[in-house]
Amino acid sequence: MKNGLVRRLTAAGVALAVGTALAACSGGTAASTGGDVKAGGYDGPKVTVTFWNGFTGGAGPQVLKKLVSEFNSSHKNIAISSVPMEWDDIAAKMPLAVKAGRGPDVTVVHGSDVATYAAQGLLLKADAIAKTLKMDESDFPSGLYENGSYQDAQYGLPWSVTPLGLYINKDVLKKAGLDEDTVPTTEAEYDEALAALRAKGVQGEWVDPYFFTGVMEFQSLLWQYGGELYNDDVSKATYNSDAGVKALNVMLDRIKQGDSPAKVAQDGDINALIAGKTAFNWNGIWQTSNTALQSKNWTAAAVPQIGTEKAVWSSSTDWAFVNNKGQDSNKTQAAGVFVQWMNEHSLAWAETGELPATNSVREDSSLVSKYPNLKPFLAELDYAHFETSAPGIPSADALLNTAVNEAILQKKSPQQALDDAAKKADLQLQQNKQQYGY
Amino acid sequence: MTAPVLPARRDAAPPRAAIRTDRPAADRGPVVRRRLRRAGLYLVLYLLALAVVLPLLWVLTTSFKSDGDAIDNPASLLPNPVTGAAYQTLLASADLPIFRWFLNSLAAGALQTLLILVTASMGAYALARLDFAGKKVVFGVIVMTLFVPPVIFLIPNYLIVQNLGWLDSIWAITVPGAASAFGIFFLRQFFLGLPAEIEEAARIDGAGDVRIFLQLIIPLSRPAIATLAVLSFLSNWNDFLWPVYVLLSPENLTLQPGLSVLRGAYSTHFGIVMAGAVIASVPVLILFTLAQRHVVESVAASGLKG
Amino acid sequence: MSDLVVERSALPQVAPARKPRGGRRTLTAYLFLAPFLLLFVVFVVVPAVYGIWISLHAWNPLLPVKPFIGLTNYLQLFTPGSLTSGDFWQSMGATAIFTVASVPFLVAVPLLLAVLLNQRLAGGSVFRAVFFAPYVLGVAVIGVMWRYLLDPQNGAVNAVLSFFGVQADIPWTVDVPWAWISLVGVTVWWISGFNTVILLAGLKGINAELYDAAAVDGAGAWRKFLSVTLPGLRPVMAFVTTTTILGSANMFGQSFLLTQGGPGTETRTVIMYIANLGLSQNQMGAASAMSYVLFLFLALISIVNFRLQSRRGD
Repeated sequence: MKNGLVRRLTAAGVALAVGTALAACSGGTAASTGGDVKAGGYDGPKVTVTFWNGFTGGAGPQVLKKLVSEFNSSHKNIAISSVPMEWDDIAAKMPLAVKAGRGPDVTVVHGSDVATYAAQGLLLKADAIAKTLKMDESDFPSGLYENGSYQDAQYGLPWSVTPLGLYINKDVLKKAGLDEDTVPTTEAEYDEALAALRAKGVQGEWVDPYFFTGVMEFQSLLWQYGGELYNDDVSKATYNSDAGVKALNVMLDRIKQGDSPAKVAQDGDINALIAGKTAFNWNGIWQTSNTALQSKNWTAAAVPQIGTEKAVWSSSTDWAFVNNKGQDSNKTQAAGVFVQWMNEHSLAWAETGELPATNSVREDSSLVSKYPNLKPFLAELDYAHFETSAPGIPSADALLNTAVNEAILQKKSPQQALDDAAKKADLQLQQNKQQYGY
Repeated sequence: MTAPVLPARRDAAPPRAAIRTDRPAADRGPVVRRRLRRAGLYLVLYLLALAVVLPLLWVLTTSFKSDGDAIDNPASLLPNPVTGAAYQTLLASADLPIFRWFLNSLAAGALQTLLILVTASMGAYALARLDFAGKKVVFGVIVMTLFVPPVIFLIPNYLIVQNLGWLDSIWAITVPGAASAFGIFFLRQFFLGLPAEIEEAARIDGAGDVRIFLQLIIPLSRPAIATLAVLSFLSNWNDFLWPVYVLLSPENLTLQPGLSVLRGAYSTHFGIVMAGAVIASVPVLILFTLAQRHVVESVAASGLKG
Repeated sequence: MSDLVVERSALPQVAPARKPRGGRRTLTAYLFLAPFLLLFVVFVVVPAVYGIWISLHAWNPLLPVKPFIGLTNYLQLFTPGSLTSGDFWQSMGATAIFTVASVPFLVAVPLLLAVLLNQRLAGGSVFRAVFFAPYVLGVAVIGVMWRYLLDPQNGAVNAVLSFFGVQADIPWTVDVPWAWISLVGVTVWWISGFNTVILLAGLKGINAELYDAAAVDGAGAWRKFLSVTLPGLRPVMAFVTTTTILGSANMFGQSFLLTQGGPGTETRTVIMYIANLGLSQNQMGAASAMSYVLFLFLALISIVNFRLQSRRGD
C-alpha cells in the first residue's frame, strides 16, 4: 500500500497534466449578451419554431395545444413545435443547451429568471418586437414590464401573472356557525373568523414553513407592513426589518393560538383545506384549476389586509427569445409572430388558472363571465408585488426560504432567522454583482 | 487487501468420512429444534416481507384513486371509487409518447448493460487474475475515482458529449455511464474469490488467457455477472438527472424524465405519480424475477456449490 | 467447460495463490483492460481532472470569462463567515450523521436477509423478488411516495400509528430527529435489496464443503456464520461496505425530495448543497472545490477502513 500510494500519485499527476492540456484546448465559448429580435412579420421560407414551456399541469397542456394548432393552421410558413416539461427540467436543461446551440427558439420563463438569463447571454433583446406590438409598461400591472428588462433592454415580454389569494372552504365555515358568504377582508374580521373557528375546535388557517406557501404569505405580510425584500439597487437584503419580524409573528401566532398545527407538511395547507380540516388557505391562483378542489364547496377571495397597507405576492411568466449559439434569425422572426399572436389570443389562457398579463385582455368582460373564480384576483393586481428581478437573485431568495422555515418551526426567533439570512444574502448579492457585473 | 479465502480454509477441512460417523448421533431433540428454527425463519421472513410490501401496496392502490380520494383518505388502502383515470391519462394521451419512451429506456438500458458487462469483465479479469506492470496504479486510480462525488462529472461530461456530437442521442445516456468504476471493482472482487487451481490446471492443458477468460472465469462467475447486469440495467433505467440534461427532443426521452413531464406544475397528482411508478417498475420487476431465477440455475449448473 | 470443473475437485489443495502463476503478462493485461480504460479515461479521468482545473477558477459554465482565482475556492471553505464555509461544513455534518446512522443498517440488514435467503426455502425466489422490489423504483418515485406516506398530518404512517394508539402527529418529514429517522428508514427500505443481491451472489461462491466441515467440528449456526460465512464473504463485504459508505456519503435525492433539507438546512447533505450550488446556481468552481474536499475525507476514511480490514485479514 505505501509504495502503491506513491505510484498512484504519480499516475494521478500524469493524468492531471493530460487533462489540463485538454481543458486548455476546449477554451470558453464567448457569450455575447443578445442580438435583437427584429420588428415586423415573417415572410421567409417555412420554419419550425421550437417552444419550450412549463405548462404541464392542470388545463395548461390542452389550452396551449388548442392555441398552437390554431396558430399553425393560420400561418402557412410557420410551424410551432411546443415542448412541455417541468419548470425544474427547463431550468436544468435550457442554459447548457442554449450554449450548445440546441435550445428552443422561444420560451416562457418565470419573471424572476429573466435578468439572470439575460446576464448569462441566453436571451435576445426584444425591444424592437415590443415596439411592433406597441407594448409598454402601461399595458401591464405596475412593475411587471420593468421586471422583464435588464440593463436598459427588454428581454421578457409579460405573458401571465399568478397572485396569491385567500381560499375558503365554505362547508367548514358553515359547520362552525359562520356565514359562508362573508369573506374576511381586514385584520379584525380575519381574527374574528379564526377565533370563532377556534371556539368550535377548528384550526382556521394552517401555516406551512415552505416556499409553497409559507414564504409567499410571509412576503405578502412583509409588504403589508411596509417592508421590502431588498433595497433599490438589490445590493442589500432588507427583510430583517420590523415589518419582517411582524410578518413572521403574525404567522407564528396562528400556531401559538391554535389556528394551525406546529409542523405542517409541504402542501399540507391546501390538502387540509380540500379535506375540510381548515377553513382558510393563502395560496396561488393556480389552485383554482386544482381538480381535487372542484368537488368541494369553495371560493377564493383577495387576501385580507392584515398590515397597514394592501399588498400581495405575485409571480409572473414572460416570453423570451433564445440566443442559441448560431441562432437562425428566421426562426426568431417567426417566433416573434407567434408571440404577438398569442398575446392577442391570451384570453383563453385564463382557463389554466393564470391571469393574462395584458391589462386590456383582463379588462375584457368576457373573462370574468367565463372564469368567475378568477374575479377576486383581478382587483389584487393593483397592489400586487412581483418577484425581485436581478441576475443571480434566486440564490439570494433561497436564503429567505430557510429563514421562514426556521422561524415557523421555532428553531430560531423571527429576528434571528431573518438576520442570519440577510447577512448571508448580502454576501450573495455582492458575489452576484461581481460575477454578473450589474 | 482481499486474499482469496477459499483454498486456505479448505485446508482445515477434515476428511469427508468424518461426516458419516457424525450423522447417526442425531436424535429427536435437534429435529424438533430444527423445525422450530425453520418456523422462526419463515416468521422472520414473512414479517420482513410484509414491511417491504405494505408501502408498495399503497403505491398500487393509490394509483387507482381519484385525486380527491387520495387527499381525503390517504391512509385507506381501498380506493373509493376505484378509477383507472390515472392510467388512462398516462397511456391514452396522444401527446405523450409513453410507449416510445418505454422502448427508449429499454434500448438504453440494454446497450449500457452490454457495454458494462463486456468492458468490466475483461478489465476485471486482468486486474484479478493477471500479473502486470502498473497493476496497482491502474486499480488504485480506478478505485480512487469512486470517491469523487459523481455530481461534478456532470458539466465536464456534458461538454465532452456535446463535442462528440452525442447530445440528444442514445450514446449520451449509455456510454458515459458505462465508464463507472463500479462494475470493474465489483467483478474484480468476485474474480479474486475463484480458486487459482482451476486456472492453473487449464494453463497446464495449454489454454490461453482468452480461453480461460471466456470458458472458465465467465461461466464460473455467472451469478456475479447476472447480478451486475441487473444492477446496471436498473441504474440506467432509473436515472433521471443526467438524461434531463442531455436529452432534448420529447421523442428521445426515456421513461423517468418522460414521466416527470406528467407531474403537474404546481399541485401533485398522487394518482398519476403512483400510476407512473407502477408502469415504470413492473416491467423491471418482471425482468429481475426472470433474471434471478437464471442466477440460481446457473449456480447449480456451474457446480460452484461443490 | 464441465470437464474443467470436474478436474477441480481432483486437484491438489495448493496454498492460496495471491499472485497468479504464469509470470507477468503486461501486454495481455492491457489488451484486456483497453476497452474499459478508453471509456474510463474519457468519461471519468478527464472530467475528474478537469474538475480540479475548474475548482481553481470562478467557473460559471454560462459566462464567457472564468477568472483564475487560485486556491480561493478552497480557502473560502476554511474562512469563517464566508458565503460558503458555514453552509458547507454544516452540510458535511449532515452527511456524516446520515452515513453513520445508515451504513450499519445498510450492511447488517442485507447480510441477515442474504443469509436467510441462502437457505433452501419454499418460495425462495418470491422472497428474493419481494426484498429487491423497492430498489426497482427510482429515487424520484421513492421521494414522492414516502412524502405522501410520511405526511405528518395526512399520511398513512401516522394514521396506522394512531390506530395502534401511538401519538399520531409525528413530524416525519418536517422536524428532526424524525426527519433523520425517515431518511435512514426509507433508505434502508429502498437499498437493502440491492446489497442483499450482491451478498447473495457472494454467498453462492462459498464452498459448501466448508459448512459440512464446520458441522463436523460441532459448529452451530452462529459459529458457522462467524467462521465460514463471514471469512468467505470478505471480498464481497469489502465491496459492499465501501460502496455503501460512498452511496450514503453521496445521498441527496431523499433529502431533496422528502425533507427539502429541512428543518432549516439541518438535513441538507453535502451533495445536495454541492449540486444546488454547482448546477442550479452555476457556481461550478466552488462546487468542484467542495467536491474535492469531500473526496479527501472519503479517501482518508476508506484508507483507514482498508487498513483495518487487511490487518484483521492477516
